[in-house]
Amino acid sequence: MIPGNKDNRDGYLFALPFLIVFVLFMIYPLIHGFFISFFKWDILSTKVFLGLDNYIKLFSDSKFYISLWHTFKFVLITTPVLLFLGFVMALFVNSKSPFKKAGENIFFLPYIFSMTVVSTLWAWLFQKQYGLFNHLLAIINIEPVGWLTDPLWAMWSVSFATFWWTAGFNMILLSAGIKQISREVFESAEIDGASYLQRVKRITIPLLKPTIVLCLILQTIASFNVFGQVYVMTGGGPYGKTRVLIQYIYETGFNYFKMGYSAAMSYILFLIILIFSVLINKLGESNYD
Amino acid sequence: MIRKNYKYYIIRFIELIILIIWVFPLIWMIITSLHLEDKLVSKEFHFIPKNPTFYNYTKAITSTYIMRWLFNSLFTSTLTMILTVIVDAPIAYSFAKIKFKGKNILFWIVMAAMMVPFQVLIIPLYLQFNNYHLINNLMSIVLPRISLPIGVFILKQFFEGIPNSLEESAFIDGSSRFRVFSYIIIPLGSSAIATVTILSFINSWNTFLWPLIAINDTAKYTITVGIANFQGTHGTQYALIMSGAVLASIPQFIFFLIFRNQIVEGIAMSGIKG
Repeated sequence: MIPGNKDNRDGYLFALPFLIVFVLFMIYPLIHGFFISFFKWDILSTKVFLGLDNYIKLFSDSKFYISLWHTFKFVLITTPVLLFLGFVMALFVNSKSPFKKAGENIFFLPYIFSMTVVSTLWAWLFQKQYGLFNHLLAIINIEPVGWLTDPLWAMWSVSFATFWWTAGFNMILLSAGIKQISREVFESAEIDGASYLQRVKRITIPLLKPTIVLCLILQTIASFNVFGQVYVMTGGGPYGKTRVLIQYIYETGFNYFKMGYSAAMSYILFLIILIFSVLINKLGESNYD
Repeated sequence: MIRKNYKYYIIRFIELIILIIWVFPLIWMIITSLHLEDKLVSKEFHFIPKNPTFYNYTKAITSTYIMRWLFNSLFTSTLTMILTVIVDAPIAYSFAKIKFKGKNILFWIVMAAMMVPFQVLIIPLYLQFNNYHLINNLMSIVLPRISLPIGVFILKQFFEGIPNSLEESAFIDGSSRFRVFSYIIIPLGSSAIATVTILSFINSWNTFLWPLIAINDTAKYTITVGIANFQGTHGTQYALIMSGAVLASIPQFIFFLIFRNQIVEGIAMSGIKG
């Protein structure tokens, strides 16, 4: 480099605008939030230091457990299905079907609509009296189902809307990975007489491993952060049966103004997400060779 | 050399049906929006409206804030995307091309920030913006979204691919670092910059929880919060809600038509090289 003697100065100067914003709106709130989680505070009155009390209280708060369980349930339902759907879609997009281009566009299309549009649309499809699904069921004489009002169905319905909304994202990720696998590998396997399913099992999946692991991590993180779909489609109901952790964090902070307690919960969620990401990554690496 | 027997046609037929089912909810959204409200809530099932009407659209535009919400979203997302590139591109350049002390540590801190879910920041951010008297101000939506670590990562990867010889000959000609950045790096990196711009726009347009908290005034809602609010206030007016949903999606749909390839590339890039 020619301006070698000014490298340090230039490096910092070019980094500065980002660092200012980054420290101000990312690092500082991250540390400040952690600090707040040790206090009892409703914004209006002064802070009271509690030490670890907020974190201890979590362990006896049944509402916390229940909403955490709902988040887990959502993760357990959506992560495997979305990964599978995305993978099948990616295979289709890379197949010889004449519809593969149309498929790529159609499967991806829902993802570009915002979460609230998708949620209001599916709330209408799932509507008990006049929604499309129950109209279709009526044709084959099945009683209307309370998709969003029956505790048995509500979480599944929200998950279903999520499948439709975000499977296309995983498809793009996995499809890009498949395109990187050299064509020759597939062709020689085909010549050797390997069937399509054998080729998927023996070539695509093993070679796609890094992308699959990445996709799994991104999907797990996204699913743990679920809030909007549930909030718009069911509002956490029926009887709190779909209230997820972020909704509880939101309500604790902004309906009941328990800032410290709310912050403590959000750090526990952060920790859980971190643990899962590391675990998946480790699992992916250990099976790699 | 595919033998087109009956099996081939059956598979193609199944594929076609699945594609139609997949796109159908969107068609249903449009069909619903063209219905008159009372036709939707009657005992018999009306599939295609007998007299399609734009009444719901006029009603949504005239009796709600929907146009304001669209404007707010366009404004905040456009500003976010411009500012994102302005702050992300220089640091990505310094990570890619300049040797300076502490560079590696700094890079890993920025990358580690990708792991922080935005939800963790809502309480402290709310308190912070409350202090600045920026709650209920559209700037509160823009500011926390500007430093986009994934954007820095994509740009850095791309800038690293630009040959050093190009820069060096410019330095020999007496160009300053800033000149090299703006006349060589930026033009050559334009495709990566386009990708980051688009990711940032989508990211900002779709954000929901933070605007829900930061904005109290109905007229200042973004479209995502506005549509969710629609659901609450017009609960059973499904045709009106769906016409609102269609209106809310038009900008994104146009955006998709124009930038489809860059959007897809952006997602693929954030994945593959990670």
